[in-house]
Amino acid sequence: MDGEKKTYGGCEGPDALYVKLILSDGHEFIVKKERALTSGTIKAMLSGPGQFAEKEADEVHFREIPSHVPSKVYALCMCFMYKVRYTNSSTEIPEFPVVPEIALELLMAANFLDC
Amino acid sequence: MASFPPRVNEKEIVRSRTIGELLAPAAPFDKKCGRENWTVAFAPDGSYFAWSQGHRTVKLVPWSQCLQNFLLHGTKNVTNSSSLRLPRQNSDGGQKNKPREHIIDCGDIVWSLAFGSSVPEKQSRCVNIEWHRFRFGQDQLLLATGLNNGRIKIWDVYTGKLLLNLVDHTEVVRDLTFAPDGSLILVSASRDKTLRVWDLKDDGNMMKVLRGHQNWVYSCAFSPDSSMLCSVGASKAVFLWNMDKYTMIRKLEGHHHDVVACDFSPDGALLATASYDTRVYIWDPHNGDILMEFGHLFPPPTPIFAGGANDRWVRSVSFSHDGLHVASLADDKMVRFWRIDEDYPVQVAPLSNGLCCAFSTDGSVLAAGTHDGSVYFWATPRQVPSLQHLCRMSVRRVMPTQEVQELPIPSKLLEFLSYRI
Repeated sequence: MDGEKKTYGGCEGPDALYVKLILSDGHEFIVKKERALTSGTIKAMLSGPGQFAEKEADEVHFREIPSHVPSKVYALCMCFMYKVRYTNSSTEIPEFPVVPEIALELLMAANFLDC
Repeated sequence: MASFPPRVNEKEIVRSRTIGELLAPAAPFDKKCGRENWTVAFAPDGSYFAWSQGHRTVKLVPWSQCLQNFLLHGTKNVTNSSSLRLPRQNSDGGQKNKPREHIIDCGDIVWSLAFGSSVPEKQSRCVNIEWHRFRFGQDQLLLATGLNNGRIKIWDVYTGKLLLNLVDHTEVVRDLTFAPDGSLILVSASRDKTLRVWDLKDDGNMMKVLRGHQNWVYSCAFSPDSSMLCSVGASKAVFLWNMDKYTMIRKLEGHHHDVVACDFSPDGALLATASYDTRVYIWDPHNGDILMEFGHLFPPPTPIFAGGANDRWVRSVSFSHDGLHVASLADDKMVRFWRIDEDYPVQVAPLSNGLCCAFSTDGSVLAAGTHDGSVYFWATPRQVPSLQHLCRMSVRRVMPTQEVQELPIPSKLLEFLSYRI
């Protein structure tokens, strides 16, 4: 119907579709859980022994990544989109260009995130 | 004598999927030498595939049509030289742009092939010459063929016509390669122990002779940024040349027998060489270190055995487009696909009398040519590369190892960037 607002699933509970990533200065990103799990680091953070049973929301804190460094945030997003997009693709794996100017920063971020 | 390291169970190695075959036609005089298929090549834009069919001819097929044929008609495809079996063409005038099959009669046994296409902005190295016989335009695709008598013939791929005849080598031209920067600089490697550098934009003027080999030169390859050339040859020779000044940078030592094939990785950070000593080595071309060894005979042969007839000569090696996989052809009737971080193959395929191999331009298919003039195709193992690897390639395309070592990054990342993991 027109005028109906779209509602999204939340970050709460074990079936949460989304997960919240919190950077060191408090900025929050909400990302689809399936995409976030492509990062080995985030996967470990979400399922590690530090998980409390009564924890409501799936949150991951990145104390090292400040939001004012756009390349690192950019790297986070790239990691998620890239792997999910191409892992189960039965078609040709297309080119994924990485601009040389940011390649080094992206490498460090990708190494941290293990993706 | 085993083909794989003892800890590997041969039955667990995946067999590659066959895509198709192009079989040479039977000819009345097939007892004579000259049937061999010494080179296969793909055009840089993926539009054509060429192979030296034997009997002094080269066959050029439009690659996408060829792939379609394989999918439609099954894998066997006997090419009949008398009928140019083109698929039905549209009558709406699209014929001019549709690539056509050609069979080129070169007049002599063909030993090497290379495709070249020009980038108009790349100036020829000669000074201020206005009048050229050939103006190579933007959509011109050239095929260079190296012959038994030392001549090199340059053909136009779209029309099949002969454009240039380069005469200088006195012996078999064993390998040809164009500079990847579109400048139409051609390098030829010959059994006369030299390599020659030709400028095709200057009507094929020979610019330089590279001397240094003591024996036959088997193969040569440009680095992707066209700054370095690797040449390999008999008597264990592996040389690296600076292609701005045409001086020798260094010799890479390590093989025990003739070195017959070489190929750079797409980011120029790795060099693969194949030798009759049963091994493929992966080198860092910037400092000459050996990073990986891919063995084809186990236990590894002693230097004396490796330096002689050991029935396990490696004939060809090729780097894949993704910079992660390498294919090798050896005399034990197997094609091997390797990952650069494992020392045993991830896939194998059976092939008798294989002589040469090349990956397609997009890296999805490996073509291998055999002694009887046929070509076989397999699907390459595909894998989504990690984002770290893509970043590594992007960085290494512009940075040699020495600069990498100076970067202010953690040592583990330094090792990763230098391909030492």
